[in-house]
Amino acid sequence: MTELNRRTFQAASGLGAASIALQSLLADERSDRRPHHAATARSVIFLFMSGGPSQVDTFDPKPALAELAGKDVPESIARNVPPIKRAGLKNLMASPWKFSQHGDCGQPVSELFPEVAKHVDDLCVIRSMSHRNPVHGPAECVALTGTSAADRPSLGAWSLYGLGTPNSELPGLLAMNLHTDGMQHPQAAGWGAGFLPSKYQGTVIDPVKGIRHTSMPSGISVQQRTAELDLLKQLNQRHLARVQDHSELAARIESYQTAFAMQTSAPELFEINTESASVQQAYGLDRPETALTGRGCLLARRMVERGVRFVQVRVGGWDAHGNLKGNHQKMADRTDGPVAALLADLKQSGLLESTLVVWGGEFGRTPTMEGLGNGRDHSPAAYTVWLAGGGVQGGQAIGHTDDIGYTVMDHPYRPQDLHATILHATGIDAKQLTYDHHGLIETPVGVTGGNVIPGVFA
Amino acid sequence: MHDDSAIQISSRFRCVQTCLFAFSLVIASSVSAEDVRLQNSWKKNAFVSEIWEINGTDSRNNPLRRQLESPFTGDELFVRYRIHYAAESLDTPADDEGEFFVLWLDQAEGNDGSTHSGNVPNVGLHVDGEQNRFMIRFSSASQKFAGEVTGRKERLLVARLWKSRPGAQLPFDQLDLWVDPSPEELRRPHVSAASPKAISVVNWIGFSTGAKTEVEDRIRVRDLALATSWNRIMGLPSETTPTPPGKIVRTVDFDAHVVPILKDRCFGCHAGEDAEIRLDVYDEVLNRTVPFQASASTLIQAIESGKMPPDEEPSLDADQQKVLRAWVNEGVTWNEATLPTPVPDSDHWAFQPIVRPDIPVVTGKDWIRTPVDHFIAAEQERIGIEPAPEASPSVLTRRWSLDLLGLPVSGDAADPESLMDDAAFGVRWARHWLDVARWAESNGHQHNRFRPAAWRYRDWVVDAFNNNMPFDEFLRAQIAGDELAPATGDPDGRLIATGFLSAARYSGNELDKRIQRNDILVDVVNTTASAFLGLTLECAQCHSHKFDPISMRDYYRMQAFFAGGQPGNVSLSEAEASARPLADQRQAIFDQTYARLVRVRERRGLPNASLVTPSTVIKGISSADRGRFGTLERELKLFPQTWAFYAPSTARHARTVLPQEMRWPLPNAPRTLEDVECRLLLRGDVNAPGPQVYPGWPRVFGDSQPGTHPRTALADWMTGANNPLTARVWVNRIWQWHFGRGLVSTSSDFGTQGAKPSHPRLLDFLASELISHNWDSRHIHLLILNSATYRQSSQFSKHNEERDPDNLTWWRWEPRRLEAEAVRDCILAVSGQLDRKRGGPSETDSGKSVRRSLYLRQHRERLPEQQNLFDGSNAVVSCTLRRVSTSPLQPLWLMNSSFTQTAAQKMADRFEKVNEAFLECLGRQPTLEESDLLSEHTMNHGAASTMLILLNTSEFLYIP
Repeated sequence: MTELNRRTFQAASGLGAASIALQSLLADERSDRRPHHAATARSVIFLFMSGGPSQVDTFDPKPALAELAGKDVPESIARNVPPIKRAGLKNLMASPWKFSQHGDCGQPVSELFPEVAKHVDDLCVIRSMSHRNPVHGPAECVALTGTSAADRPSLGAWSLYGLGTPNSELPGLLAMNLHTDGMQHPQAAGWGAGFLPSKYQGTVIDPVKGIRHTSMPSGISVQQRTAELDLLKQLNQRHLARVQDHSELAARIESYQTAFAMQTSAPELFEINTESASVQQAYGLDRPETALTGRGCLLARRMVERGVRFVQVRVGGWDAHGNLKGNHQKMADRTDGPVAALLADLKQSGLLESTLVVWGGEFGRTPTMEGLGNGRDHSPAAYTVWLAGGGVQGGQAIGHTDDIGYTVMDHPYRPQDLHATILHATGIDAKQLTYDHHGLIETPVGVTGGNVIPGVFA
Repeated sequence: MHDDSAIQISSRFRCVQTCLFAFSLVIASSVSAEDVRLQNSWKKNAFVSEIWEINGTDSRNNPLRRQLESPFTGDELFVRYRIHYAAESLDTPADDEGEFFVLWLDQAEGNDGSTHSGNVPNVGLHVDGEQNRFMIRFSSASQKFAGEVTGRKERLLVARLWKSRPGAQLPFDQLDLWVDPSPEELRRPHVSAASPKAISVVNWIGFSTGAKTEVEDRIRVRDLALATSWNRIMGLPSETTPTPPGKIVRTVDFDAHVVPILKDRCFGCHAGEDAEIRLDVYDEVLNRTVPFQASASTLIQAIESGKMPPDEEPSLDADQQKVLRAWVNEGVTWNEATLPTPVPDSDHWAFQPIVRPDIPVVTGKDWIRTPVDHFIAAEQERIGIEPAPEASPSVLTRRWSLDLLGLPVSGDAADPESLMDDAAFGVRWARHWLDVARWAESNGHQHNRFRPAAWRYRDWVVDAFNNNMPFDEFLRAQIAGDELAPATGDPDGRLIATGFLSAARYSGNELDKRIQRNDILVDVVNTTASAFLGLTLECAQCHSHKFDPISMRDYYRMQAFFAGGQPGNVSLSEAEASARPLADQRQAIFDQTYARLVRVRERRGLPNASLVTPSTVIKGISSADRGRFGTLERELKLFPQTWAFYAPSTARHARTVLPQEMRWPLPNAPRTLEDVECRLLLRGDVNAPGPQVYPGWPRVFGDSQPGTHPRTALADWMTGANNPLTARVWVNRIWQWHFGRGLVSTSSDFGTQGAKPSHPRLLDFLASELISHNWDSRHIHLLILNSATYRQSSQFSKHNEERDPDNLTWWRWEPRRLEAEAVRDCILAVSGQLDRKRGGPSETDSGKSVRRSLYLRQHRERLPEQQNLFDGSNAVVSCTLRRVSTSPLQPLWLMNSSFTQTAAQKMADRFEKVNEAFLECLGRQPTLEESDLLSEHTMNHGAASTMLILLNTSEFLYIP
């Protein structure tokens, strides 16, 4: 049927508006899967540091904290601290870690991260991230989807919706939740499809066990499976022939071929023994503190190597309410080596040029001590993330916080801005990628909008 | 002092500070009498604090006074102190003359005998009739009293001294008092006093005893502090946004002062329907002002910057600007009589009354089976469409069975009536409604704690569908069940039905109780409006739109219906009598422990001392009470209870709210709920409250009469004769669940942004049928299920496809995939494993359960794996229509999971012949060719392999 005929029909039936709305409801496939502009990254690896790493102990040094330790937050700063419960204003606490300059750029990095510090020339550190939600779960949703309601699509789902995936034999969005023993339960905001069709939802995988149901049930040979698929296809095609004109049934038949291909390629993805001993060692697979994170990071590299569009590696445990020193040291031990190995590995193979790596948590922490426990409380008023690869201009820091790192002084950015920036690297204009959600035209940055952070890209 | 911005008091009155305990003046003076002298002050750590013990002299005395570091002439000053008046010291007029004791705030020190009264604010206690009560005053002639003074307890007095007109020279003419306030009570002082004449500067503070204060009286005071904000005086985190004051003294009269300016200077352009920006409509003015914050209001900014009125007109003069500024700062009052809000006059189709249409006359009468077909055929005939022939009996039986029961037909051919009599009908159709109700058995968000009693609502919905409960009753129970008298023979059903409201998702880790409650109200209003009325109100939470008939005030009026209640574990009637004393005992132990822990934390100088998690409280229970508490907890868990929405002030029967497990649960405080006051929230932010609002439905639907039982009134209106939406929305949902698509394709959005109905007259016919048949849903089901429209085959027609490619005229049946639950249930059924038992607590998804999927535990956002794969509803928000996605992960589960592998093996054991299994799975005999293919495969690869193929066929997974 030609477009003209269709319009004639709609006019004749008086159903124009309804049928248009209906088409968008039923539309499962977008035909225009082309980037809005030239992409600088084919894939994204989001290293999500759950629990909230402290900005003033990692990438945003505040020497003034040492001088003010034990004192209250100066009134000039206190008055700018947003009215959030648990935003303590008493008893500032110095960072237990020294900062020193690294790389050609001379950017300061805390001694917590000696290995990542070696890559500082590739990092674009954004110190002026800010939002208003101080509670882990909702804040994770804010940081990853822009609102706390947990009903919006993940960035990965948006990118699959906008771009599809280069490798149909693996899911296009894979998420690994590592070290989830803490109080912060992983939020589907990291991989959920929200209001997008659920085919865009990510697959959560266990880095050791792999993708569920990809191994052949015991006693079934490839030959038997091939016969099963052949017969099934015959039966399903007969069924489709009786029904006729049903794209969903046609897609279903196709999905069995893809599934079988996935069954072959997915286990291969997890065969990390094929990596050289030195690679395995670099990722820290041989040490208990780094084994799991190292595995996650190595798998992330293998995934993007195979064309997976979006990977989220979520490392839990940064919630340092008491004993900041012990907590952040443990978390640094867990992540510093593997993350540095990932950056080095991607760089060495050239993949870093087409892979955007993002590091950050759901919020930062207060510069004050929480209670008397030598820890810091949640603070979304200012926090730090960094980006590397995928066209990012490394060796720079964007934005400033006040003298104690409590509030943003200039270049304030919201999570939506970070999302627009990440999608921009993949070739998506976050304001132009639209989805008709029951009549409401949605975009990745929602009603409040978001802009690409200036200066991030080279 | 308390913190850096608190008012500094000079050193003569040092050390009156936070926390307990005690070295009294007696000790201090006895030491100083010796010739060995101590230095200025003690070295202290956090585990000591200072208390003053004051005795009377039977005459006026000022035993303690202290000067501020610099005189205070600001507009608002808070003061607090804690007082313990020893019980044995207290007397009343009955036995003596009563008591007197005050803290004064004055410009001058005076001497030991000064009265510090008459235009001097006093905060303390005085005898009032037969009682001693807490008191504030400016003079002895104008005393205002709060609660009774009892000797058993230390009390925190907080007072606010302020100027109704700001200015250093102007008097502190307002005084508010709170006794043991909670943080959110800023705008609700317990008592207030005013005096036009009062001091304008505070330089000294001190305590006075009087003639009624005896020498043996022991009055302990401590923790004295001054501050310039509520948050600081309460030890809360500081705020940057100003908070509206408790009591506004209005200097501006809307009619006398504001209206003349608006009329004269603004309405020329900004009034009437054609104006782009209207200032004659309250809702639009609220879009452009921030009540109590003139400087943040775009209206005031435009005027004061000279932008408005525009260039060619003179600016407002200084007095006019002052009036408008004061009007905003005093809360933007409005007089509806002077400038009434126009009743929105909407011509939107869904807001028009339901009029029963004539049944259209059609030519192809043979085809017609029920009136539904007339409407369908009329449209088809109009554009030259031929309906598909009727489906074969076997297909029809299978379609009815899968549609109505979610199970393949077994045994004899069945008709819709008998299938709807099968209790499996309720199990299948409850799931549809539970999607809309965003029902789940956990809290959602981060901690996502289990709600062990939530299953009763699920069972109530199943029973309601099986009993064909009239839809108006179905709605009333869910909206107002706690307010309604119980149904005969069912003392708890209506209470359980409020599980619809309490299914709200909210963060159990939210410290700010205002945010926690607001999140619930937002969820409840959005879901109620979209589920029953097909209205999406979300946008009106933050702004009104001139072209949208739902305003921001409408939104908060809707919220006000629900503000008196909250979700909780509520005891069922049989348990009520025995549960209450135990719950009270448990609460008492909890409260005591909590109070003790807070005291300890205060003593240690911890910030936010009152923030103690329930689990910490429970760990801190004294060894004496621990055993008893544990027993109470265990016993209370066993009492029959339901996760309900319960409003103590309007409920028909008082019920006990039983404990609920959560990191930071909602406070169980019926009193707080009673006098909760609803305000419009600017930008939806609880920190930006606007004017107060009262329960009411959107004005576009006429005037509201909420009465004493607000939600009952709401339900009455929703099911009332004039409501244009409820019946339309419900019949459309029924249609959608039978056909996979509604007559209105946006089935939860009948608003201006939603789709228009494809068959408006059919929609109105069904809606009027529903109402005229006393909201009998089954009548609507049968009109549809028996229609020729429904009975069509899926046969394709090129002719029709050219005229209606999207099948909008329903010219054929479109096969659609079973929902996740039905996929699993059908596999269990054909493999002979299904346990059809109904009701009771959910089963955790161990992979072993063989009960119907409805009874697997629904943990929000963490659905059982298979439900996730096949587009289950994750209960984050109302799900109006399941989408169908096709991903390779589905075949992986269908082919490789132990669930399907086991089922295939069971089928191989169960059926001797492949053809029997084929019939069971697909409801028909295989063709000869199919039979040959399957037999051959069985010979080569075994029966289980063939069974697995059957489970994977599209035909098995689609409603034919």
